[in-house]
Amino acid sequence: MTSHWCDFQNTDVILHCGSNSVENHPVSSKWLNKAHERGAKWIVVDPRYTRTAEMADIYCPIRSGTDIAFYGGMYHYIIENLIEPNLADYLAGKEVPVYNFEYLLNYTNASYLLDPEYSFDVESGLFSGYDEATRTYSNHSWHYQTESEEQWDTAGDYAWAVKPGVPEFTTPTLQHPKRDMTLQDPMCVYQQFKKHYSRYDIETVCNVCGMDRQTLELVYETYSASAAPGKAGMILYALGQTQHTYGAQNTRAMSVMQLLLGNIGVPGGGVNALRGEPNVQGATDMGMMVNEHPAYLKWANTTDRSSLRKWLESQTYSDGYYTNKPKFIVSSLKEWFGENATVENDYGYDWWPKVPSKKTDQDYTHISTFELMSQGVIKGYFNWGMNPCHSAPNASNVRRAMANLDWLVVADQVATESATFWKAPDMSPEEINTTVYFLPCALIYEKPGVILNSGRWLQYRYQAVEPWDEAKPDYEMCDLLWTEICRLYEAEGGANPDPILKTKWDYYIDGKIDPRPVAWALNGYRVANSDFADEKVDLLSGYSEMAADGSTACAMWIYSGFWNNNDAPLDPAAQPIGRRDNDDKSGLGLYSNWAFSWPSNRRILYNRNSADMSGKPWAADKKLVEWTGEKWDLVDQADFVAAKNGAPVPPNNKTFFMLWEQNGRLESYGMEDGPVPEFYEPFESPVEKNLLNGALSSPCMRFAEYESTKHGDAADYPIVATTYSVTEHWQTGGQSRACPALVEAMPAQFVEISEELAAEKSIKPGDKVRVFNNRGSVVVDAVITKRLKPMRVHGVTQHLVGLTHHYSWAGVFGTEASTVNDLTPNVGDPNSFTPEYKAFLVDIERAIGGAK
Amino acid sequence: MAEKAILFDTSRCTGCHACQIACKCWNNLPSPTGLNENKFSGTHQNPPDLNGQTRLIMTYNESEGTLPTKTVQWAFGRRSCQHCADAPCASICPAGAIYKDVVTGMVTTDNSKCVACQYCSTACPFDVPRYDGVQGTINKCTGCVDRIEQGMAPACVTTCQPEALAFGDRDEMLVEAEKRLEMLKQRGYENAVIYGAEEMGGLHVIQVLKYGVEAHGQVANPTVSPVTTLTNLMKPVTGVVSGVTVLGLAAMFGLAAGYKRDKVVYNAETEDTISLITGDVVKHGDGQDTTSVKDHILENLPGKKGGDHE
Repeated sequence: MTSHWCDFQNTDVILHCGSNSVENHPVSSKWLNKAHERGAKWIVVDPRYTRTAEMADIYCPIRSGTDIAFYGGMYHYIIENLIEPNLADYLAGKEVPVYNFEYLLNYTNASYLLDPEYSFDVESGLFSGYDEATRTYSNHSWHYQTESEEQWDTAGDYAWAVKPGVPEFTTPTLQHPKRDMTLQDPMCVYQQFKKHYSRYDIETVCNVCGMDRQTLELVYETYSASAAPGKAGMILYALGQTQHTYGAQNTRAMSVMQLLLGNIGVPGGGVNALRGEPNVQGATDMGMMVNEHPAYLKWANTTDRSSLRKWLESQTYSDGYYTNKPKFIVSSLKEWFGENATVENDYGYDWWPKVPSKKTDQDYTHISTFELMSQGVIKGYFNWGMNPCHSAPNASNVRRAMANLDWLVVADQVATESATFWKAPDMSPEEINTTVYFLPCALIYEKPGVILNSGRWLQYRYQAVEPWDEAKPDYEMCDLLWTEICRLYEAEGGANPDPILKTKWDYYIDGKIDPRPVAWALNGYRVANSDFADEKVDLLSGYSEMAADGSTACAMWIYSGFWNNNDAPLDPAAQPIGRRDNDDKSGLGLYSNWAFSWPSNRRILYNRNSADMSGKPWAADKKLVEWTGEKWDLVDQADFVAAKNGAPVPPNNKTFFMLWEQNGRLESYGMEDGPVPEFYEPFESPVEKNLLNGALSSPCMRFAEYESTKHGDAADYPIVATTYSVTEHWQTGGQSRACPALVEAMPAQFVEISEELAAEKSIKPGDKVRVFNNRGSVVVDAVITKRLKPMRVHGVTQHLVGLTHHYSWAGVFGTEASTVNDLTPNVGDPNSFTPEYKAFLVDIERAIGGAK
Repeated sequence: MAEKAILFDTSRCTGCHACQIACKCWNNLPSPTGLNENKFSGTHQNPPDLNGQTRLIMTYNESEGTLPTKTVQWAFGRRSCQHCADAPCASICPAGAIYKDVVTGMVTTDNSKCVACQYCSTACPFDVPRYDGVQGTINKCTGCVDRIEQGMAPACVTTCQPEALAFGDRDEMLVEAEKRLEMLKQRGYENAVIYGAEEMGGLHVIQVLKYGVEAHGQVANPTVSPVTTLTNLMKPVTGVVSGVTVLGLAAMFGLAAGYKRDKVVYNAETEDTISLITGDVVKHGDGQDTTSVKDHILENLPGKKGGDHE
C-alpha cells in the first residue's frame, strides 16, 4: 500500500470497496477504530453486509463486478459538484475551500495535452489503437503532446551513464509535455476525462450497480468531502477489486479517484492494498510472476528487452528516479552471476531466460499453465506454496490437467488437495499415472527469515521451534535441488549449461544455507570488498550508492538499506530491519524507528504531495514534510528530491518522482486495456447489454477463448455469485483447517443467500444447497441472511449469492466439502493475468442428500 | 489490587472469534477433531452455544437496520460468565468449587472441588456454567485469575485486535464505558446502553451494547435466585454431617430447578424435571447419565474422588 497500517488512524473518511478488512485483516480494525472514534466517517461498498459493514456508518450494496461504474460515477460527481462550479473562481485567484485545485493542476497530469489521435468510441466501447485480430491495444495515441525535448547531460548529472563499465546504450530523450494550466484545451487530460465520464450519471450508475440513488449520493458526497485541502480520504481494497477481468483497471480507478481528491501522499490517504499471510506483498516485490523481475523491474523478453541494450533503452526513464534503472539492472545481474558477469558479456544478461512476449506467443501465466498441461506440453510441475487444485479458478479443470503430468512435486506443510489431487471425488486414481513427490516444508515459525507486511515494513522473524520431523525450510530445499542440478551438469553436461553453472550461489554460513547472506544480496554491497565464501561483505547504506558499472551488486534495489550495518552483518537485531523503538516522534504513527519500510524507510509514499506548492503542509497538524524557506523539515523520509549535491532543493511540482513526468496520471498509457478505466461487464454477466458502451465484456480479457472456460449464460444461470474468505480460515485452509478450534468456530463452507431467494427456492435454515454452472456443481451449507438482499439491476430484480472457499476433500479435522473453485471461471486480466473469482454466474437449488 | 472488570464495547467488536479461540487455547479446552464432527449452525455462531468445552462464544444477531444509512444490523455479542457481585453460582456451590476471588471480584473456579451437582448451572440467571462430561466437572470462565495474578489481562482481552475488550479497575472501566456510550449516542445509536453497572449487584463484565440489551442477546433485568439465600442459610448445616448435606443438596436442587424454570417441577423420585405447561420431561435425571444425583454427590464428596482432575 502507499500508506501503512498505523496510518489508518489519520484519515477523515474510510472507504472500503472490495475489502472486508476487519474480517480478513483483523489488525486493521484497531487503527480504523481509532480514526472512527476521532470522528472519521466510514463507508462500506460491498455486495454483502460484511463484518466490516457492521462497523461502518454507511453501507452501500453493489452488484459484484461493477466497481468501475461506481468509481466513474464518483468522478462525474466530483467534476459536476466540486470542479466545474469552482474552477473559474480558482483560476481568478479566489480561495476554494471545498476542492484542492492546487493539487489537481500541479501534481497530476490534468493539464497535459493528449495526442490528437486519442479517442474513445462509445458505440464500440473501444479506445483508439485497438487491434481486433490480437484483441490488444497499441498505446501510441495515449501519449502526451510534446512541448520541447531535452537530452541527458552526460557531462553533468548523467556522467555516470557513460563511465567505463556501464553498458552502452542510447540515453533517453526527455519530452516535456504540452500543458494548459487553465484546463480549457479540448485535448487536455481534464477535458477528455470530463467528456469520458459524462456518461456516468447517477441514474445510470444505480442501474448498473444495483444501488439505491439516495445511498449512492450520500456515499459520493461523504467521500468527496475529502477533496478539501487538509482533509484525507483513504481507500482500502483487496481481492474484491483485483480478481476481475478488469482488476488492474479497478486499481487504476481507485488511484485516479484519489488523485482527483488530492488524497495520495497525505497522512490518512492513499490507495491501500491489504495483503495477508500468503504474502502477496512479498510475492509482488520479489517478482513471483512470469513477467516481473524482482523489485518491479521487467524480465528479459523476446521483443523490446531481448538484449541488455534494448532493456536499458526501453526501460530507463528520461527523468525522475527511474533514470537510475541501469544501476538497478546491472547490480541485479552482478548478484545473479557474480564474477562471471562482466561488461564484455553484458553482465550475463543473455543467460537470463526470455519471456515469450509476442502477441501470438504461448504464455506461461497461472491459468495458461494448466492449459499447457492439458495439451501435454508441460509434463512436470513444481507446486510450491500454493494449492491450485483447490484455489485455482475452474479447479476441477486443474485436477484433470495435473493427471496429464508425468511427475508432480508438491512442497507444503500438509497434504493439500494438490498433493492428493488423484483422491478428489471426481477423479479415477486407477487411470492416473502421475508420480507425485511430497516435500514437507517448515512453517514460518520453524525457520528464520525476512517477513514483510502490506505497509512495506520488513522485519526479521526468528526461528521459534525446530521443523517437525523431516520438514525443511524452502530455501534449504532449493539449495539441495540447486546443488544437485549443478553437480549433474558438471558431471554429465546438459542443455544450456551457462545459465546454470555461471549463477552465483554462495549463501552459506558455516557451510549451511542461511537467510542472512541472502539479506546481504537483497540489500546490496560493494563487490570489491566482499566475498560471501569468506563470509565477508561491504554493505551499501542504501540504493543511492548503487552503480551501473559493475562495482555494486544488489538483488532487490527497493529493499536496499534494510540490512546495511557493516559492524554486525550477521546480526539481524543490529540492522535497520531489527529496530524495535516504538516511540512515535511524528505523532502520526509513522514509527520510523521500528523495523524498516521500503523504500529507504519511507512510511508514506509520494509524501511530497502532503504539502502545497510552497512546501507548506495542507494540514498543519499532519506534517510529513515542510519547506522552511531554507531547507526541508522531514518528518518522514523524503519521497522526492529534497537536496542535490548537498544543497536543499526548493519546492517544485515534481511530486511523483517514480514517473518520468513526475506528476500523477489521471490518464495513463501504461495499461494494456485502456488509458482511463472504462466499465465492462464481467466475463459472465446477468445482463445482455452494457449500459455505458457498446462492448459487453472487456475487449482485452484474457483466456476466454479456452474451451475449458465454458461460458455460462444468464438464461441458464441467472444468479450472480462471488467468493470470499472468513476470518477463521486462511485461503484453502491448509494451516487453519489443521487447527481444531478454528474448525469449530467455522466448521463448514457455505453459501450466503437472501431470505427472498431462499423463499423462492424453498431453502430453509439447516438445508444444504447445490450451487452449479457449466464448470461445476458444489454442495454447501445454506446461510440464509438479511445481510444480502436482491438488487434492482437494469430495472429488474437480480439475486446475488456469496460462497466461501476454505474447505475441500483433504484435511484431518475438517469438514468434507465440495471445492467451490470448481465454479469460478478461468479467465483473467490482461495486465496481471489475475482470474475473475469475484463475479460469475450460477444457479442454486435445495440439495437432496449430503455434501460431495 | 482494586476490583477488576472486563469491558466489552460491542461497537468496536468485529465478531472475529479471536476471544473465543484464545479462551480455548489458554484454558486448554479441546475442540472436536473427528472428520465432519463439528456441526455448522447455519450462521457465524459456532458452536451455537456454550458447552462443556467452551466457556465463551461470540453471538451474531441479525435484524432490520435502525439507522437510515444501514439496511441491516448485525449485533455481535459475548456469551460467557458475567462475574456477578451477587453470584448465585458461588453461593449455591456446596463444595466451594465456584467462589469469588476476594481481590478482583471475579467469580472463579477450583475444579478439584467440583462435585458435579450442577446447581450452579441451574442458579445462573445467564445460563452459563456447563457440565463437562469428560472431566466430570463444571466448566465456566474463571476470569483468568491465574493471568491477572501475574499482572496480565484475561486471554480474551489480550488477543482482541480491535480493542473491543479492555481490562482494568472496575471503576475505570465504567468511566470508559460512559465515554463510549456518549460517542455511540452521537453517532445515532439511540438504543445503546451500558450493561453490568448495577445488574446482579454489579457485574465484572461491563458491556457497551450498541443496539440495546436484547439485540446483543443479553438478559434484561437478571435477578438473584431466592435459592441463593436458602443456600447460605443451609451452609452451616451442610458442614456438619454428610447425610444432612445430601438432604440439603437435594432440597436445593429442587428449588434451584424450580427457580430457573418457573414453569417446571422436579420429581425427587425419578429425578426428572417436568414442564408444567407441556407435561414433558425437560431434563432426565441429572441430564448426563443414569446414576442418581444422590449417588453422584456421595461419590464425589471431597475425600472420595476429589483432587485435581489432572
